[in-house]
Amino acid sequence: MSTGSPAAGSTGADTGPVAGSTGRLGRGSAVLAFVLVQVIVFALAYSAGRTGLYVFFALGSAATVGYLSHRGWFAVAAASLGAILLIAVGLPIAMFVARQQPSLVIEKALSTEVHRMLYLSIYGPLLAALFTVVFGTPLAYLLSEGFPGDTLIESLVDLPLVVPHSVAGLLILFGFGGGGAFPSVFVLGTMIGLVLAMAFVSAPFAVNVIREAFETIDAQMEYAARVHGANRFETFRRVTFPLSARSVVTGGVLAWARSVSEFGAVAIVAYNVQFFYPPAGEQITGQHAPVFIFNAYTAGSLAESSAVGFILLVVSVLIFLLIRWLAYGENDTSASAMP
Amino acid sequence: MTLEVDVAARFTATGTDPFVIDVAFSVEEGESLVILGPSGSGKTLVLETIAGFHLSKGAIRNGDRDLTDLPSEKRDFGFVFQDYALFPHMTVRENVAFGARYHEETRDPETVLAELGVANLADRTPPTLSGGEAQRVALARSLAIGPEVFLLDEPLSALDVPTRQALRDDVADLLADVTAVYVTHNRTTARAIADRIAIMRDGELVQRGTPETIFERPASPFVARFTGANCLPLDALGEFGRELREREGDEEATHVALRPEYVELEPEESDLETTVQRCTREDATNRLVLSLPAAATEPTASSESSEPIGARSTDGGQRSEDDRDLTLEVFSDRVPESGAEIGVSFPREHLTLLDDSDEYDDPAGETE
Repeated sequence: MSTGSPAAGSTGADTGPVAGSTGRLGRGSAVLAFVLVQVIVFALAYSAGRTGLYVFFALGSAATVGYLSHRGWFAVAAASLGAILLIAVGLPIAMFVARQQPSLVIEKALSTEVHRMLYLSIYGPLLAALFTVVFGTPLAYLLSEGFPGDTLIESLVDLPLVVPHSVAGLLILFGFGGGGAFPSVFVLGTMIGLVLAMAFVSAPFAVNVIREAFETIDAQMEYAARVHGANRFETFRRVTFPLSARSVVTGGVLAWARSVSEFGAVAIVAYNVQFFYPPAGEQITGQHAPVFIFNAYTAGSLAESSAVGFILLVVSVLIFLLIRWLAYGENDTSASAMP
Repeated sequence: MTLEVDVAARFTATGTDPFVIDVAFSVEEGESLVILGPSGSGKTLVLETIAGFHLSKGAIRNGDRDLTDLPSEKRDFGFVFQDYALFPHMTVRENVAFGARYHEETRDPETVLAELGVANLADRTPPTLSGGEAQRVALARSLAIGPEVFLLDEPLSALDVPTRQALRDDVADLLADVTAVYVTHNRTTARAIADRIAIMRDGELVQRGTPETIFERPASPFVARFTGANCLPLDALGEFGRELREREGDEEATHVALRPEYVELEPEESDLETTVQRCTREDATNRLVLSLPAAATEPTASSESSEPIGARSTDGGQRSEDDRDLTLEVFSDRVPESGAEIGVSFPREHLTLLDDSDEYDDPAGETE
């Protein structure tokens, strides 16, 4: 099962092969120079209408960096093969950004409709992430301790990973919709439905990351707290939780990001969502971003849907960076400080 | 108050057989009991079970307080861990003050740190400390809550030799008049610290006694070897072995144990002629490994019939034990050449005859 955190992945990237070979120059500046060169070459290739050439340049530069950092065919092969995957992921993003029409992006960025969509697409996932972290952390703690039947519960937690998301939407409707467990709860087209659908698909990410963090804490750390007088709750509050706080944040960010990108379950449960929009001071109806973008696309405008998509991409990246900065910023004590 | 422990616990891990510990012992007020045993013998599990970290059967009492059903935090133990287990997200001062809010009478962190000579570290965080510093802070953390009994789990074994020796002296002073159970696999540490030693093997205590008893009069070949004594099969000593059996009137005896420091080299009348196999310089002395004479090491008729030579040589573990059985370790100021013939004698008053059946009856253990 892949629950690798994007946060961890991107931390790895800036201490990659380039850094290894240029320790004396300063890792940061070497990485920055490398990225700048890539951007300039891509821009040149794109403006010349020969983007394909950039792919060869990127492969060549990866192989070169691999050679310079480890001086062997294995590093060259690993860097080149790895670069193919990076190109498959990174090139579409670069092309998507490069092909935007600035005027259309600005027009969309100023539109009220898009503001409402952005609000819903940040706020809804935030609620879903809070829901999964608040209730997922105790569950993750119990799973990390282990109990009879814990593998069964772990399977249940992981189940949403293999359920097609449209089916996940149906499950929410059957569970909590009309005729469901709580007749007084309305999920179809409501904020509750949106959050439940998002929580369903994002819970495994949060729970697994937090559970793994709890599992990596040395049992002796908790023993030490207990024997010095702390009961189980105090041990959790003063030792276990602070030592895994970063992973709890990472789990929340993952759940939030997964919720932002959720289409299938949301389209079924809450295609149009009624929600309170503070700037308007009233209940309004809007759509979650992936649904909104899909709508624009099926209405026939690739340019319009991609402009909105571009705005969502930028906002998501900014929020992601902000949270990373807040959680992992200057102060570096917990994870790396574990003995 | 006397700490009385009588516990049994079963530990299971996937892929291995269950491991069972079953021990009963008591520690008098002010006494330091050292549980000495090889890695994997269950020493740490015993300590953790006493502290209440694992489920167990039996009873644990401290004086008239029954601790059996109390959670760890109410048992009033100080616990020092092998790998320090300091909280990395707190400063040294916060670590030492950790237990303050859960105890009515606690000591000032600064004072305790000063007593252990690490007052200057109060504002540092654990990851920046050396091993010796970290263990002093861990000791301070336990001292600060003024526990009735100290439990120490190999607190010195992660340290380098000079640091270990310095800290060992401090720990010995600290434990001089407090009740403590100290777990280690290091016999030197055990002898330096213990008022009483219990030898642990495979989850059970196999011999208990004062350090002198344990080291001078081991009760089984296992204890003899583990405490560093020479332990020779009587059958391998030929005529000398038969003579020992007869003299002691112990026909069941299979081994003879003698500490290296008591073997006399080149006496006027030798018990055995040996060959110098190896001579290693160690601190203030030389450690000699002597081979017993070929004539004496020929298998006897009985061992030949029960264990064919071929079968032994295919079994690595068995073989190395045999190799060790047939050599003699001696401390000496002299540096003889390898291969030199050298006569040795065994002072009779320091010899202990042993029976290699693993069962050990310990009637006197608790009274010693």
